[in-house]
Amino acid sequence: MNTITIPADTQTPLERVLCYLKGEKPQRVACFPLILNHAARVLGVSIGKYNRDGKIMGKSHVAAFRRYGSDAILIFSTTSTLAEAMGTKMEFFEEDAPQISEPFIKERSDLKKLKVPDFSRDGRLPVYMEATEIAVREVGSEVCVTTVLAGPLTTAAALFPVDQLTRDLIKNKAWVHELMEICTQACMKFIEEILKRKSLPIIVEPIASGSLISPVHFKEFVAPYLKRLSDHVHKTGGGMPAVLHICGKTTPNWKAMLEAEFDMWSLDNVDLGQAKATAGHRVVLVGNVTPANLLKNTPEEIDAEAKVICEKMGDLKGFILGSGCEVPINTPPENVDALISAARKYGRFDN
Amino acid sequence: MPRERGDLLKDLMDAVFLMNEDLAVKAAKEVVAAGYDAYDAINNGLVAGMNKAGVLYEKEEYFVPELLICSDAMYAGLEILRPHIKTDTAVEKHKVVIGVMEGDTHDIGKNLVKIMMDAAGFEMFDLGRNVPLASFVEKAKEVNAELICMSTLMTTTMDGMATVIEMLKEEGIRNSFKVMVGGGPISQGFAKKIGADGYADNATNAVDIAKKLAAKGGSSQGRAK
Repeated sequence: MNTITIPADTQTPLERVLCYLKGEKPQRVACFPLILNHAARVLGVSIGKYNRDGKIMGKSHVAAFRRYGSDAILIFSTTSTLAEAMGTKMEFFEEDAPQISEPFIKERSDLKKLKVPDFSRDGRLPVYMEATEIAVREVGSEVCVTTVLAGPLTTAAALFPVDQLTRDLIKNKAWVHELMEICTQACMKFIEEILKRKSLPIIVEPIASGSLISPVHFKEFVAPYLKRLSDHVHKTGGGMPAVLHICGKTTPNWKAMLEAEFDMWSLDNVDLGQAKATAGHRVVLVGNVTPANLLKNTPEEIDAEAKVICEKMGDLKGFILGSGCEVPINTPPENVDALISAARKYGRFDN
Repeated sequence: MPRERGDLLKDLMDAVFLMNEDLAVKAAKEVVAAGYDAYDAINNGLVAGMNKAGVLYEKEEYFVPELLICSDAMYAGLEILRPHIKTDTAVEKHKVVIGVMEGDTHDIGKNLVKIMMDAAGFEMFDLGRNVPLASFVEKAKEVNAELICMSTLMTTTMDGMATVIEMLKEEGIRNSFKVMVGGGPISQGFAKKIGADGYADNATNAVDIAKKLAAKGGSSQGRAK
């Protein structure tokens, strides 16, 4: 892999990403390894501490950016963080991300008690906000700082047990729509709080994965709500793009996703070349080295996998190399380096 | 006058794959009242319906919500019919221990596999989620299982699968069980690397693999004492 000379970067990560937004050619393809909880490893703090302390979370991401030079910072703890602020209880671990221990809604009538949270106080939202502020203050002039929030369906599935929620997509549609309405309002407020801090909101909706729900349910319970979120970013974001990440399989939902009018999709277990053919005219595509491979494979294998993805994308316009989903917490640093180097090697516009 | 056996079987099958729990209950009660063979009604009614649902799942016409509601109907019918199975028609089932790795609480995938394997006639011992690794080994020994199925959605817990296989080796009982793995970050390559016998990427696929492994007889015969 060392036979090719790797051209030095001539743009800052922020300049590179801005090229995409302006529709200009960057010096090379940008690279978004989705470094989330892994940032704690770079600073050398426990995952437990990272998840509970805004200063540590912010500093972890600054450290990860300094170490790797990726083209985006993604402030994130779990996809249940918004639900947690709305009353869902979490279990915390020293060396892993928190997980849901008790969803807020036990009886469907609990929906009446559900409220849009107070972002200065509820759950760990202040942790997110502080981490976001630190990252923007310290490196916001060099790199695109983003804050990740779970979308309405994923938030709903963290408020009400997912097996019951999925059944209710069929059996209690009206109730699910009521729940989705409150979750959507909470997401809109989250977006405002993120934008206020000059960070870019990234909406993640893993529960809407094609591995879980049908395209029919996606159209009814996901796309219309996502559309409201992208509209909100467009209306209040001062030119910020609306960004969506959905894990797992998404191919059958691309048409509905297009109607939700996002500007950037981060995709996981799909053929990214096929995604380009369907959505490339409208959407910048981010992806999609297999996350488990980042953990288990060698840097040479990561390089080869990234090369194949770059080749599939053809002219590379509107493409950002990345990981399909979260970079596993214990990923060896040299594999993240290999992924970013691959963007320098195979993501060239000058040949 | 009780309805024909064939009519009731069709109702049971339809009830399951068309997600109609009330119909499953009604038809099951009619089977019992008419004195028809409960075992036949389970296999050729409820289970046939669940298999049909599985086919739709394979074709990506059904997804998780549909399969779960189908299984609700199947289990509602089973609850009524099971007490009426005549002991001489009961068949020895392949025993399977299943669970989600320690440190992981995501269990939708595991639950779907359990449902489909249940319908396929395996006897399932479900350890639930966040299962201590040693429990897989202990339970498998205790119930004399043929298969151990492990699931995880997280990269931080996938290595627990390798640990369970190591535990089996250390106890000298690796060959007494077949080991199957699956879940989001798991791949055929990973399964091979850790020495698992099978990998499945969805619930219906898991049934096929389990049947193959059970047929190979990876079982309790010749277990080290």
